[in-house]
Amino acid sequence: MFQSFRLCMAWLHTWFGLMLGFVLMVVFFFGALSVFDREIDRWALPESRFQPQPMPSFDRVLRPAFERMQPSKDDIALLDGRVHGPLPERFDTVRHWGAYTTHRDPVVAVFAGYEVPKAKDPEETVWASHALDPRDGRVLPEGRLRISSQFFYPLHYSLTLNWKDLGTWIVGFSALMMLAALVSGVVMHRKIFREFFTFRRDKSVQRSALDLHNLTGVVALPFHFFFAFTGLVIFAGLYFPVAHTQLRSLHELSEKIEARETGLPHERAGVAAPLASVDAMVAEAQRRWAARGMAGEVGYLGVQHVGDANAYVSVYRAGTDRVALTGEGIHFKASTGELLREDPPRTAVDSVNEFLTGLHLQHFRHWLLRWLYVLGGLLGCVCIATGFIFFVEKRKQQHAKVGSPGSRVVDALAVATVTGMLIATTAMLVANRLLSEALPDKGDWEKTVFWSAWALALLHAFARNGAVALGRRSPAWREQCLLAAAGAVAAVVANAVTTGDHLGRTLADGYWPVAGVDLSLLAMAAIALLAARRLGRVGQRTAARGTPAAIAGASNG
Amino acid sequence: MAEPLLLLGAAAIAALAGLAWLALAMEVHWAQVHGLRARATPARLRTAGAAALALSFALCLGADHVSMAVLVWLMLLAGSALAIAMMLSTRPQWLRWLWLAR
Amino acid sequence: MNATPHSLRPLSLLSRIAAAVLGGYAFCWGFIALGLAGFYAAGMPFHDAEHLSGMLGVLLFLVAFCWVFATQRVGRAWAVLLGGAALMAGGATLVQRAMV
Repeated sequence: MFQSFRLCMAWLHTWFGLMLGFVLMVVFFFGALSVFDREIDRWALPESRFQPQPMPSFDRVLRPAFERMQPSKDDIALLDGRVHGPLPERFDTVRHWGAYTTHRDPVVAVFAGYEVPKAKDPEETVWASHALDPRDGRVLPEGRLRISSQFFYPLHYSLTLNWKDLGTWIVGFSALMMLAALVSGVVMHRKIFREFFTFRRDKSVQRSALDLHNLTGVVALPFHFFFAFTGLVIFAGLYFPVAHTQLRSLHELSEKIEARETGLPHERAGVAAPLASVDAMVAEAQRRWAARGMAGEVGYLGVQHVGDANAYVSVYRAGTDRVALTGEGIHFKASTGELLREDPPRTAVDSVNEFLTGLHLQHFRHWLLRWLYVLGGLLGCVCIATGFIFFVEKRKQQHAKVGSPGSRVVDALAVATVTGMLIATTAMLVANRLLSEALPDKGDWEKTVFWSAWALALLHAFARNGAVALGRRSPAWREQCLLAAAGAVAAVVANAVTTGDHLGRTLADGYWPVAGVDLSLLAMAAIALLAARRLGRVGQRTAARGTPAAIAGASNG
Repeated sequence: MAEPLLLLGAAAIAALAGLAWLALAMEVHWAQVHGLRARATPARLRTAGAAALALSFALCLGADHVSMAVLVWLMLLAGSALAIAMMLSTRPQWLRWLWLAR
Repeated sequence: MNATPHSLRPLSLLSRIAAAVLGGYAFCWGFIALGLAGFYAAGMPFHDAEHLSGMLGVLLFLVAFCWVFATQRVGRAWAVLLGGAALMAGGATLVQRAMV
């Protein structure tokens, strides 16, 4: 295509990097926040600010909650077009009950999948999910958004665009482009070893931006590569649903064989049966793990074919001490508590897969590694942001001369994606504190604030960057840095005022979830203020150079 | 959790030292830190650097299950490389005491 | 001064992007299908076969994507990707027929 492989990789890196960089910025930033999603949830939901709890008793706490559960109207709405006739209102045949918790969860996530009467696809399942207080089984009220795990996290992998999984597809393509950008970046970067530690701050903005772009890209190259790759592996079944389409019969054959081999029935028997004590089964599972030298907490509890003679209970160990998620599953016959199967040690392929997914989804207990992950995510953001800045700096003089709007457009989009995103995030946290706790659908209001703040930031960016069309820097960068800093401080103050859990108290009590979020917000504000100051100073120098007196002085001297 | 914390702290320090030595092995960075002072043998600096990084990995293995140790080590390297690059860019004189011999 | 290089003209470029995205996708679908059916037929557990094919398929997509932009003629890219996709997907279906 081009004269050389290097040049065509450079083209690929520049243009696909630019186009998908906007998406990747969102993915990296909200991915970094999602490392501490449970902690941010505690900040946003003050009534959940208690210590993490182990999996509660199934018989006393979980079972009554499960039996009361039904899908919400939002859950049922997903069935639109997938049933014959009107949407059913009640769902009585339960395929699956599941309860999930980690060492960081005060609340336990419970969900239930129901058969759908009159569905077009006989395998169709409707899901209901709740968060429970494990101490008393109380369900957290609907409409209260767990801001990080129910918004920032889905934003990270699907842009919350759920129509036909479109958002997940876009993120997936961006991840593939991330991999391509890393490969092409390495090919392009002729001095990758020589310039490994190079960051020249005293040169032009273009040179400094490129140095920082290369630095943040290369030092965390394994991180960037593995996160994009493992993200794609996690969703591979969605992007390539081979087993549910072309090879569906093969899949069904394998499930029948597996059911025979494992003794875990694939279908319901159609005969009702009671549920024995699940707590006794859990105790037995924990005894067996300890006997194998792998004592541990319960990470996942599942009941399949609920209420049927073929029902079985699965108990999985929480993978807190290793990278793989959960494992060492032990399965019991639900009606009697008799042991059906102890999962054998993993195959090589399964171990690799669990390692890769566990690496990305992080349910392990390791605070240093978590913070290093946040660092990696933020380095990715800096890499993308400096990429935008380099792109604009390289072209804006030229564009100014020929009157092309290209640099201006990219610059405005970059401002909106980098600083605008921070403004939207802090605005949402402020709204979370200021809106009344009693407000129904409070979560929807918070989301509206988020999207509106971002839209306003975008408008501001376009309105203020006329300077770029003249080959100068847009003041929007500095202004939005100041706004983001203000938002972050406002959020910390709002938390202190509305909940009384100000830093003095949370640090003294050692309640790190809330203290950590407050401290991070303050750190963000400090960095944004520093950036605003530097941008202001550079702006003054450039302006001074441009005044008539200075030009006269320069032409005389 | 005290013991793993000490091991990981030491691993971080080893990573910083290792990467600093690898940086100093490059003429450009040596000049940034030591100015016109005669350059130390790059081979020695590189050996010291590699050894420190290997030590860092061993310390990580001591603190955690191997699957986590690998991730921790790679991320420590990333953070340390960033720190050294920033130091070279802003306060290179702080790295002067890291190599006193020839 | 000099005309846009042939490969950067809009239609040729669009064709190349389409080949990389759509052709690449089809090629990887074929690979994953054949891998899944093949590994399973060779005795690997079904979900292991699925995961291994998926992991390799993602890496293959990366390679194919870069290759489409590096290769001289777009026509050749289309032929290799679509032809390969058809062959591999066809093979997968044959394996399925033999087993079910």
